[in-house]
Amino acid sequence: MNLNDLTSPFDEHGRCLPIGLGAPALAQSRRYFQITPPQIDYAAIHARTTKHLGDTGLASDEFVRRCEALMQSLRDDPQTTNITRGIAVPFLLPQAEHADYGEALEQHYIPAVEHAFAKTFPQYRFTNHDKAGLSGKLSVAANSRHERLLQAMQQGPVVGYYFPCLSEYSLPAALERVQSLPEQFLMAGGYDTSAALVGTPGLLQRTDGYPPLLWLAAVQADKPLAGYFYEAYGYNLTFNRRPHFGQAAEYWNSGLTVLG
Amino acid sequence: MTTMTNETQPNKLTPEEQAKREGLRVRKPYVAAKLAAISEMEERGEISPIIRLEKSYLCNFQCTHCSAEYYMDRHQKKVFKIEDARRKIDLDDIRELSRQADELGLARFVITGGEPLVMKDFDAVVEAIDPDKHYIITDTNGWFLDLATAKHLKSIGVEKVQLSLDSMIEAEHDAFRNKPGSYKKVMRAIEASVEAGLNLLLSTVLVKGRAKSSEFLEMCKFATERNIGLYVSYAKPTGSCTDHPEFVIEKEDADILRELEKDYNVFTHMTPSYGSFKGCITVKGIITVTSTFEVTPCPYIDFSLGNLRETPLKEVLARGMRNPWLGPYRPDCIIGEDPQFIKLHTEKTKGVTQLPVPWGQGFSDSDTLIG
Ligand code: SF4
Repeated sequence: MNLNDLTSPFDEHGRCLPIGLGAPALAQSRRYFQITPPQIDYAAIHARTTKHLGDTGLASDEFVRRCEALMQSLRDDPQTTNITRGIAVPFLLPQAEHADYGEALEQHYIPAVEHAFAKTFPQYRFTNHDKAGLSGKLSVAANSRHERLLQAMQQGPVVGYYFPCLSEYSLPAALERVQSLPEQFLMAGGYDTSAALVGTPGLLQRTDGYPPLLWLAAVQADKPLAGYFYEAYGYNLTFNRRPHFGQAAEYWNSGLTVLG
Repeated sequence: MTTMTNETQPNKLTPEEQAKREGLRVRKPYVAAKLAAISEMEERGEISPIIRLEKSYLCNFQCTHCSAEYYMDRHQKKVFKIEDARRKIDLDDIRELSRQADELGLARFVITGGEPLVMKDFDAVVEAIDPDKHYIITDTNGWFLDLATAKHLKSIGVEKVQLSLDSMIEAEHDAFRNKPGSYKKVMRAIEASVEAGLNLLLSTVLVKGRAKSSEFLEMCKFATERNIGLYVSYAKPTGSCTDHPEFVIEKEDADILRELEKDYNVFTHMTPSYGSFKGCITVKGIITVTSTFEVTPCPYIDFSLGNLRETPLKEVLARGMRNPWLGPYRPDCIIGEDPQFIKLHTEKTKGVTQLPVPWGQGFSDSDTLIG
C-alpha cells in the first residue's frame, strides 16, 4: 500500500500506520502494550504545569480554549481525525530558550516530572536512572521537525497535544515516518514529553497490563544507537537511557506533537 | 533446579561487595575485564548473555515447581516410558562452548541441572569451562553444601553459589521441595558459603499470592539483614508447574515485588540495575545449553534456537535476537505473563517427549507476534 492511497495515516485506534518505511516497524500491532486513556482535566494540568514548570502567563481558560480548538481542527480533517481516537495528552510549556538541550532537560524538565509525580503519587517513586548526566549530550534529531517546538517556546508559552502514536516503531522508522506526515506533526522530544507527564503524571500507570515505553525520539543522543525514554516500573515512573539498536519492538512508542 | 541470574545486584554496592570485585580483578584479571566490558558491549548493540549449562539433570530432590523435570531421565522413563537416545554433551563439547563464548566476549556460566553438586564430574566441568576465562556460578539446593564442599568449590574456581530457598517456614520449604530436612541444609549452606568466601545469592520462586504474604516479607528481611541478595523468579506454566496453573503470578504480584525492591535486597533479573533496565532477558541476558547441546532462550521456554553441534553459538544468538518474541526489549515475562505466548508454548510442547522442541518447530525465522 502507498501512503497516498490512505484517507488517513492513522488507524481507528490512533496508531500512526507504518507504511512505506525503509527502517523497521511492526506492520501490525496486537495492541499488547497499551496506555489506559487518561482523564483529561485541563484545570489540573494547567495548575501542575504552573507549579512544577513555572508560570506560563497563560490563563487556564485560554489554555482550554486553545487545546479544544486544536483537537477540533484535527477531528474536522478526515486525514487527521483518527489520531484523536488514540491517546492524546494536552500540555503546556512556559516560554524558554535553552543553550544546552540536555542540561535543561536534566535540571528543569525531568525534575518537574519527578515533583509532579511525587505530588500525585506520594506512595510511589520517580527515578532518573541516567547517572551519566545529559549536559552537552543531546541535540535535535535531523528531520524531526522538533526545532519548530523550540522556536515556538522562544516566542512564548506553548500549548500542544502529545500523541504517543508511533507504536512499535524503531527510532529511525519514527523519524522517517514524521517526514511524510502533514506539516503540523512534529516528533516529540524531551521538553514536550516531559510537559505531558508533568500535566498527566499517571499517564503510564497501569494495573491490568503493561504500558509502553516512551522514547524521546526527536532527541539525538551522543551515540547513534542510544536513546532516552520514560518508562513505568510497576507503579513507579523512571527516566533512562539505553541502546535501541535501530530495532522495532512491540514495547516501544514514540510520540507526535501538535502545537495549538 | 530452576534458578538463573544475571549477575546484577541492583542495590548499591556495599564496601564488602566492592572488595570482592577488587579481589576478582587481582585473582582473575581476564574475567574481571570481560565483566567490566559488558555495558560497553551493550552500548555497541552486542549482547553478553549468561550461559546456563545443564550438563546433567540428575537430582536428589523432586521439587513441585521444577522447570527441568521434563528433561530428566527419571521423568522420561516413568512417564513416557522411553530412554533418551540423543547424544549428550561431554567435556570436549563444554570446552568448545567455552571457547566460542569467550570469542564472543561472553563471560558468565551457571552450572545448573538437576542438582550440580550430585554430578560426579562437577570439578571436570568447571575445568572445561575454565575459571580463568569465565565467571563461574553454580546453582544448588544446598543439600550437600557443607563447609568442606564450599571451600572446595572456591578452590576449584567457582565464584558464586545460588541457593534455593522456597519458604521461611521450614515445613513449607520442605514440602515444596518434597525433601524433609532440606530447609536446615539450606541454612547450613548459607553459613558454609559465607565462611568459604563464596559470593552467595538466595533464590526463591514466587507463586501467585506469595508476594503479599508475611512469610515472603520475612524472607526479604532475612536476606537483607545478612546482606545477601534474594533473587526471585516467577513460577511459570512449564515443567512441573504445567500441572499447577494456579502458581502462575499476575501483574499485581510482580508489582508488589517491585515495591519491595525499594526497601529490601530483593530483585528479579528484570530489576533496573546499574542504571539500565534489563526487562525480559531472553537471549540478551541469558541462554540455556541443555544436555543435548540445544540452546534455549530461557530456562522456562522449551523451544530450541539451534543445536551447537550443527550451528555455531554466534548464529544461534543471532537467531534469537532477530526473533520477534525474544530479541526486542520488553518489560514483562513472556512465558510467565504473556497469554498468547503461553498458549503457543503449551500447544507446541504438548505431548513432546524430548525437549526442547527443535529449531524450526518451536521457534523459527518466520515467527510473528500476530497469529
Ligand atoms: S521469559 Fe524472559 S522474563 Fe520470563 S523467565 Fe524467561 S527470560 Fe525471564
